[in-house]
Amino acid sequence: MDEQRSAVGDDLGLGLRVPGPGRTDRLGHTRVHPVTPLIHAVTAIPIIVFALIALAGPLSQEFGGWSALGAIGAAVAGCVIVVAFSGLAWRNRTYWFDEDGDFRMDSGVIARQQRRLQLSRLQSVDVVQPLAARIFSMAAVNLEAAGGSGARIQLRYLPLDEARELRSIVLARASGLDRESGEAPEQVIAFVPPRQLAVSLLLRTSTAGLLLLTALVLFGTVVTEGWGGVPLAFVTGGIPVLLVATEFMKYFNFTIADSTDGLRLRFGLVQTQTRTVPVGRVQAVSLVEPLLWRRLGWVRVQLNVAGVGDGDNNREEQVLTPVSDRATAAFIIARVLPGVDLDDLIWCMAPSRSRWRSPVQWASLAVAWTDVLFASRSGRITRRRMYVPHARTQSVRLTEGPWERTLGLASVHVDSTKGPVRITGLHLDSEFARQVAYDQADRARSARAKDTGVRQPGPSVGD
Amino acid sequence: MPSPSAAFTSSDTWISISPRLIVARRITLVLAFIVVAAGVVALFIVPGIDRLIGWAATGVALLAFIWLWWLIGRRVRSYGYAERADDLLVRSGIMFRRLVIVPYGRMQLVDVTAGPIDRLLGVTTVQLHTAAATTDATIPGLEPAIAAALRDRLARQGEMRGAGL
Repeated sequence: MDEQRSAVGDDLGLGLRVPGPGRTDRLGHTRVHPVTPLIHAVTAIPIIVFALIALAGPLSQEFGGWSALGAIGAAVAGCVIVVAFSGLAWRNRTYWFDEDGDFRMDSGVIARQQRRLQLSRLQSVDVVQPLAARIFSMAAVNLEAAGGSGARIQLRYLPLDEARELRSIVLARASGLDRESGEAPEQVIAFVPPRQLAVSLLLRTSTAGLLLLTALVLFGTVVTEGWGGVPLAFVTGGIPVLLVATEFMKYFNFTIADSTDGLRLRFGLVQTQTRTVPVGRVQAVSLVEPLLWRRLGWVRVQLNVAGVGDGDNNREEQVLTPVSDRATAAFIIARVLPGVDLDDLIWCMAPSRSRWRSPVQWASLAVAWTDVLFASRSGRITRRRMYVPHARTQSVRLTEGPWERTLGLASVHVDSTKGPVRITGLHLDSEFARQVAYDQADRARSARAKDTGVRQPGPSVGD
Repeated sequence: MPSPSAAFTSSDTWISISPRLIVARRITLVLAFIVVAAGVVALFIVPGIDRLIGWAATGVALLAFIWLWWLIGRRVRSYGYAERADDLLVRSGIMFRRLVIVPYGRMQLVDVTAGPIDRLLGVTTVQLHTAAATTDATIPGLEPAIAAALRDRLARQGEMRGAGL
């Protein structure tokens, strides 16, 4: 990799740099790049044009050429309205750092909105580049702080180098460093080759299962010579192909790099993303091992980061690595959860009578805890291990369904922030589960007394 | 009071909620069943439908009504909460029992809400939120004064412990 190039984001190298003159007013409030409405329009225009083509033919046949012209006029007007509205939105959207060193953004055309993001509570900074933005060497910067969907600010779009600069300023301020330190140097610690990614996606339990089913359906169709199975095969075969293709494009060239501001994840084929996971902000991690990955020694690492994924339509899975060998995974986890040993655990198993409640996975159900973390285990075919540091435990729940009660079982849930990791000790002996729940609440409290989890705001740095 | 199974009892002082919530919930039940009754009556009025279907529907609706009426009483009585030195316990449920332990230091906010029927009968719901969406520590059926006092105590406890993430 070229050492001179910035590690954050990339452009297509088209050199389509659009100059954006004087975007900062005298109060020091900055606007996003004026090409933004155009980028939004580029996304909307294909839809309008497509609708136009679809409409123009039948219209001109029905009502003659004038109506087709009318449709074109309507489409042009639609484009103009989209651009004009985006333009107004652009005019009204400004951002700056206020006197307290926090990040502020004003926006809105009809309803004005003022947002303030406390940098001491910053959870992550992402640089995202949709294809339309990559064409113009632009990038969006997403800032997320702890606490609800209101704590997310999206800046669309900035020139890539400005996005990089803003990102490093925000990260430096959040960690109380000197803002002049620039982009922190990084060291690549893991890379997922496209081949491994493709193989791993094909070997996931759901994909492999559906592909097997498809093969069976096709086999049955050929043997019976009744061709009714073909549409079914399209469905059972099409879904996994679509899922694999989507994930492959999303996690293409997944690169994990270590830097002073946290772990940087870079990935994507069409839309590239750079995500920074600040060390110490990770709430929980889980290791997922589908059946067919185990012989290869591969795992997927998911994580909960507070504030990320709280958005209304942002239900995206948070991964630390889509697939890695166990040693690499352990190394990465050690980086985001320092001082945590995932192997030094004594698992307390669910009693054998839990087989009557969960006949398949009962043998792997277990919980474990150390001085610093609580862990649970589940799943027989796809094995999952979940870990949450005591200092990140939010609350503890004990539940007991009717069937569990008959067997003298109960489940312990350790609540973490929103995300793919759910820590649940299923179907334990009820007396033991109760003890674990009460003890976990105590452990969470004493761990929290030592670790506040929120960094102190850094020294304010004058401009 | 239904006796909770061993895992859900403790030596802490458990406070149960106001029985007026039973009334409030039964009113809601009756309101819902007015709609159901209208449907059942329609079965008798509309021509071409066998009388037997109408009677069967009446029977099912009546049974469901009686069962829900009885269940509301049991469910409301199963609620309880205990304020301990460092955390709040909330328990609920009969078929599916639940016990939630929320350390005061983890509370993000405390919600106090009351719907129109609740207000009429003077019951309020207090809900604790942590950074986890799954926490679900809800105490319904508190008298407004008790709810307000509980909210203030919880807020003070949270502040003392620097509540946050």
